[in-house]
Amino acid sequence: MTQNMESKPQIKRETKNKIRVEFERTALKDRLKAKYGSSFFFKRVIWYIFRLLLLIGIAFVVLQPFYTMIVNSLMAPQDFVDPTVVKVPRHLSMGIYKAIILDVQYFKFFFTTMGLSLVCALLQTFTACLVGYGLAKFKFRGNKIVFFAVVLTLVIPHGTLQAAMYYRFSYFDILGILKFFSGGTRTGIAGLDSILSKIKILPWPNGINLMNTITPLLLLSVCGLAFKNGLYIFMLRQFFRGVPDELEESAYLDGADSFRTFWQIILPLSVPMMITVFLFSFCWQWTDDFYTRLFFISAKTPSLMTYLSAGLPASFVSLITSYTEISHSSPDYVQAMKYGCGMMICLPLIILYLFCQKYLVQGIERSGIVG
Amino acid sequence: MTNQVKMAPAKPVKKKKIASLDRRKARAGFLFALPFVLGFLLIYIPILFESIKYSFYNYRVMDSVIIKEFVGWNNYSTALFAEADFVQTLLTGLQEMAFDIPAILIFSLFVAVILNQKMVGRAAFRAIFFLPVVVSTGLMESIMMTSHLEGGEGMDLGMEESAAEKMESAMALEGLLMSVFSGLGFGTGMVTYIVTAVQEISTIINRSGVQILIFLASLQSISPAIYESCQIDGATSWETFWKITFPMVSPMILVNGVYTIIDNFTTDSNSVMTVINSTYQSGNMHVSSAMGWMYLMVVLLVVGLIAAICSAFVFYQRRD
Repeated sequence: MTQNMESKPQIKRETKNKIRVEFERTALKDRLKAKYGSSFFFKRVIWYIFRLLLLIGIAFVVLQPFYTMIVNSLMAPQDFVDPTVVKVPRHLSMGIYKAIILDVQYFKFFFTTMGLSLVCALLQTFTACLVGYGLAKFKFRGNKIVFFAVVLTLVIPHGTLQAAMYYRFSYFDILGILKFFSGGTRTGIAGLDSILSKIKILPWPNGINLMNTITPLLLLSVCGLAFKNGLYIFMLRQFFRGVPDELEESAYLDGADSFRTFWQIILPLSVPMMITVFLFSFCWQWTDDFYTRLFFISAKTPSLMTYLSAGLPASFVSLITSYTEISHSSPDYVQAMKYGCGMMICLPLIILYLFCQKYLVQGIERSGIVG
Repeated sequence: MTNQVKMAPAKPVKKKKIASLDRRKARAGFLFALPFVLGFLLIYIPILFESIKYSFYNYRVMDSVIIKEFVGWNNYSTALFAEADFVQTLLTGLQEMAFDIPAILIFSLFVAVILNQKMVGRAAFRAIFFLPVVVSTGLMESIMMTSHLEGGEGMDLGMEESAAEKMESAMALEGLLMSVFSGLGFGTGMVTYIVTAVQEISTIINRSGVQILIFLASLQSISPAIYESCQIDGATSWETFWKITFPMVSPMILVNGVYTIIDNFTTDSNSVMTVINSTYQSGNMHVSSAMGWMYLMVVLLVVGLIAAICSAFVFYQRRD
């Protein structure tokens, strides 16, 4: 800059609308030196390389188990005995995958799990939207209490509640109404009990047994009580708080009520965030083995047969259990089978993730979780 | 004020016909939250109370009839004194938590700051970093962990080794790191902390996905104008981080801290949860309930303590 100032740039008018500025340029060598020779540039290069190495290192740690899983599951059995084969298979074989698809009826598991996860995830996303919107935009009595309850459901680990949940859904009842109309209510007073037991409108004196059906999961999903739903409600609440009120006010002025505003104005706005929540809920439902284990298998008979005979083996847990039972070869090969199952379990998730990951970051960025 | 009091009795006549906008909005808001409220009151609260009740009762199933007897604090004392593992695991679990949480928070903030910078392949790196959030939960977590343990060290050395040799190489790494860091003049506590963190790096990475997302979101919301003015005033990036970035994300450090604690202690891979689950599966449901409630109380105490300490240092930018 200072050099340019010394020799004045000359301005020539070529035509009516065109001018030409002539000035002495600094020599190319000097310019390059100024640009690339400075300590500032040096520092930046060092930082750039350091950052790249670090990121590649972390990416390696993340991706390495996937590599191990893929490679090991593709190795032929003789490669496990051969000590010279490390990390890269010499004989490729699709044997494990073939066995998973044919022998364990992968697609049967796949479709039941897919259906269950899809329905649950959709319900959970929708409920979380509704509740999050209600908590974010409306002041009603008990708003803060409801929000506190949401946080509470997030904090209490499901492990603590599993026994109670099991009994609750084995003898399902709402406020004792079903029991009352089926004559199952007991008060301890002899005369009253005999009268009550004569009411037989409904056939469930002990409540309904909902075990081995998908109803408990659906109920929990609809009410926003399933796995980590508190987190979704929290995320969506923070998101909706960032949506300007003016949008709704103009909709109200045009005569829309709250639900129409929600449906036609707010929901289309929040698609990236909804996709994020949907992705979370779908994937966490897909890999969940706590609730499916709890609801689809009675605690007294934890065998594979119950799974298959129940008709709705909703989780892939059984894939793994069945595989470890079938195989009786080297432990490495058993491990490889587990990897194969693992790949088959997470492959659909990875495909889904590749499609949705653009929205994931976008949704979180716009969410204004910072509030 | 006095005017309003006088006005009040006249109003209800009008309100009976058309509810005010505020009221209608309040009603609508309640309707929006209704699915959760209903579920919470009709399903969750009974389950919660039943679970608390279990911890005070002893249930036995005899000839498909459930016999229950009130045992008071018996289950709790069984969990505390008869089950030898529980107290020990609880203490080590808390210790692990004290170790994990700072590590995860520092790591995720660091990665979020890096991922927030403009560079080639940022989208690809982001996609890779959030992969564990989606994939390695629940069922997959256990499979992934075993593949990690198997692959990690064999990869470095290029050869399959015996377990003893693996241990040896890990020890050698530790020794090297120790000598490097103690040469720099850190205390031994600090050095062991860093060494353990390096050894557990895969666990830390796998568990900090959501935290990175949250930090990234909060970093995005900091106005670039602040950074610009800082740069003009001649601040280095180190100073900018501590004077601008850190205070601006400090509310999220609190949120992430609480989330990490909760996430940490609700996962099934947690050692305390493992003990509780195995107690449940061995048939002592009531004891496992008692354990669960004690554990919950302890963790709530920790969360409350940390939230109270942190919120004193958190900086909130005034908006509006």
